[in-house]
Amino acid sequence: MRPALTTDLRQIVGKANVLDAAVDLQLYSYDAYLEERRPDAVVFAHSTDEVAGIVRACNTHGVPFVPRGGGTNLSGGTIPVKGGVVIEMIRMNRILEVDLPNLRARVQPGLFNLELGNALAPLGYQYLPDPASQKAATLGGNVAENSGGPHCFKYGVTTNHVLGLTVVLPDGEVARIGGKAPDTPGYDLTGAFVGSEGTLGICTEVVVRIVRLAEGVKTLLAIYDRIEAGSETVSAIVSAGMVPATLEMMDQPVIKAVEESIHCGLPVDCATVLIIEVDGLKDDLERQAQEIADLCRAHGAREVRVAKDDAERAALWAGRRGAFGAVARITPSYLVCDGTVPRTALPAVLKQVAEVGRKYDLQIPNVFHAGDGNLHPLILFDWRNEEQKARVMKAGMEILETCVAVGGTISGEHGVGIEKMGAMRLVFGEPEIEVQRKLKRAFDPKDLANPGKMFPAPQEVRHAA
Amino acid sequence: MLPEAGGLTRRLSEVVGDEHLLSGPAAGFAVDGAAPSLVVRPGTQEQVQAVATACAQVGAAIAPWGGGTAVGLGNPPTRLDVVLCLDRLTRIVEFDPANLVVSAEAGVRLADLQQVLAAEREFLPLDPARMDRRTLGGAIATNASGPSRLLYGTARDLVLGLRVVLPSGERVRCGGKVIKNVSGYDMNKVFIGSLGTLGIITEVTFKLLPAPASRATLAGVFADLPQAAAVLQRTLGSFLLPEAMELLDPQALAAVASDLGLEGSAGYGMAISLAGSQETVARQVRDFTSLLTEGTALRTSTLGAEASPAAWRKIRDLPDRAIGADRVVVKIGVPISRTAAFLAAAETLGRRHGWRGAIAAHAASGVVRAAYATGAGAPEVVRDAVEALRREAEAAEGSLVVEAAPPTLKRHLDAWGKTGEAFAVMRRLKAQFDPRGLMNPGRFLGGI
Repeated sequence: MRPALTTDLRQIVGKANVLDAAVDLQLYSYDAYLEERRPDAVVFAHSTDEVAGIVRACNTHGVPFVPRGGGTNLSGGTIPVKGGVVIEMIRMNRILEVDLPNLRARVQPGLFNLELGNALAPLGYQYLPDPASQKAATLGGNVAENSGGPHCFKYGVTTNHVLGLTVVLPDGEVARIGGKAPDTPGYDLTGAFVGSEGTLGICTEVVVRIVRLAEGVKTLLAIYDRIEAGSETVSAIVSAGMVPATLEMMDQPVIKAVEESIHCGLPVDCATVLIIEVDGLKDDLERQAQEIADLCRAHGAREVRVAKDDAERAALWAGRRGAFGAVARITPSYLVCDGTVPRTALPAVLKQVAEVGRKYDLQIPNVFHAGDGNLHPLILFDWRNEEQKARVMKAGMEILETCVAVGGTISGEHGVGIEKMGAMRLVFGEPEIEVQRKLKRAFDPKDLANPGKMFPAPQEVRHAA
Repeated sequence: MLPEAGGLTRRLSEVVGDEHLLSGPAAGFAVDGAAPSLVVRPGTQEQVQAVATACAQVGAAIAPWGGGTAVGLGNPPTRLDVVLCLDRLTRIVEFDPANLVVSAEAGVRLADLQQVLAAEREFLPLDPARMDRRTLGGAIATNASGPSRLLYGTARDLVLGLRVVLPSGERVRCGGKVIKNVSGYDMNKVFIGSLGTLGIITEVTFKLLPAPASRATLAGVFADLPQAAAVLQRTLGSFLLPEAMELLDPQALAAVASDLGLEGSAGYGMAISLAGSQETVARQVRDFTSLLTEGTALRTSTLGAEASPAAWRKIRDLPDRAIGADRVVVKIGVPISRTAAFLAAAETLGRRHGWRGAIAAHAASGVVRAAYATGAGAPEVVRDAVEALRREAEAAEGSLVVEAAPPTLKRHLDAWGKTGEAFAVMRRLKAQFDPRGLMNPGRFLGGI
């Protein structure tokens, strides 16, 4: 990188906040995906002004920049594939305002999702999107990826709860878009920005909707000896006109790994479990839980447990939230697939996933958001085995193709990043990708914000044609 | 004037057939007093594409048209050659009740869609005014919403996918039909509320909800606004989950009092819609009855599931139907806690000028809609009054949008207000999609 830019950056944030030693750069060369690429510098930002200064400097020097939060991204969103500057947002982690009368909070992007929840809970409020990685995932990252989580079936994803942003545009200009008031006139730039994977700029403040904690919650665990029975139950519950807050599923290998690492009381001899939660006004929760339990049994559940208290509920959720981590006990690496399908296609798609596993001789346990039709097959492998890794990539692509074939899509909540650039062509034709490029060009005509992501490479157009 | 009008007419007639092409000024399709040279009514999405292509070839300016219910929204068009009327695109493309998803063409009227969904005990939780005439495409292009946005959100929360014909004539798909989708940018958001300035929406995919097992409406009358506002604040701090909470000024209340079972009542009205299971609706009826009574409501009433829909239809349509054609309708958006204050400000404005009107607020959502019969008031006077109210809304981090006004007034009064801090991005977005400015030119924010 040009020394002039490094000098500029040091002037903006101070010498201690610019890292360019090889060992430091190595630490910022990867996230929760499987690739690596070192940045040329890492800069710690502490304010909107600093971010604007950093971005302006990058823009002046024509150097790419990549915002980074907790680094939990699963699709390589924070890997600086074109080099340049990684802008570390983690120190901008304050809650700026909790505005109860307007049911809004204003936060900085480096705040961990769980910390916002922890701050709101004593007041009796909550921020609804709760990705499983909420302990380590930042709200800025949630905005960039339009993160989901286990409660999306009833409550929607990040975009449904983010109403305004302060953004630093790729030319260094600062703009507030959306806000506390509804229906801001003009194009919904807030909506376009959420889920843009750092490619349209950097958000430095987020205005979110907050709501009262639910009056009551009931959490059930349904245990099955057949995996299809579990996914059939999911559709049966929805067909019965119920809208549970969560419908989560884990299969046996995941359950075993979870139980071995967390010991939360899951049965290790079953084929699958469903974690089902209903919440809202307390008046009908008991009946809903009863009806759901009956449906589970009618569809072959061998046992249905209802969490008796907060401790039991917490244990179930610790199991679910710890699933990705626990699976690391089985093999050193895994690729998380993130396809989404119409809910009723789940049983068939799960069978195909198992088939893909057999075909490529790979272990593929499953843990996923069944109510959303959002699968997470975890393809297990050892990163030291190159031949195996090649099979993993093929298997992953084949699973995505299966999802698309039944009317689904290639990513439900983890983003395209570098992982799924090629897979974009499974769901979009060239005109549809070009429409997205138009949005990119409107924000970032010089292609400096997280370049080399999301869009399939142009040469693939010729191959595809 | 339309360039090469003759050639275009011939081409469009080839595409849709003579019977679906109206040439010569069509007053019924005028936008702010400007009549188009041609009105074309394609019967398929492919025909929409062919029409857009033909218009692009000769540089004809297009205004997409659905049910015409929101044609008052926006500034007068700087050019208008062709009205592209989508009322023949009425196919329900795919209704998948098991997955709570429906795809339907842009010309389907909201009320008609709801009827189809109701047969499977499902519904689309989007309830703007005039559902009988309003089309899906129009509702999405104008980001129309209604009272129940309180519980279910707005188009941005309900649209899973769109099909759009771009100004270039290309047809594209955005989003999909699954409820979680981060494959690329969320392009649906770009088109929702874009007033047809980026393309023509030809098909919409929505996520749906199961129809609630039970419904009820509670209504109350208050002697003054602070009493009603206090009930609102207490509700927001409670666990209660009303579907809608509408606050009505005395004139609006008078227009719907009999539908709410409050005949002859005078004062500020509050209507609360409750939907859910038998148990939760019964509990909320009890709790809200106490809240209203403790809140010193002069009178309350309760409507069951049979009487509720008609009452809410009347409430929704209030600003759009209460007054004759020469009305001015404004929509104010402010942070939730300021809603009652802006209902008061809107009421004061009408009273000061002696304008009859009706004001209804989606009280827990920060939206106030006011309709005024400004009569023979000089355009400058009306403009100054509305702009003063807009300045107040903008000072409260909000906005005021003119949803309808006579053409003579519109020449003086901007429909949208301030352009905001990222307007340069919006301009570039428009230029990317519609470099020649053929789609609803001039009608959107800041002259886009």
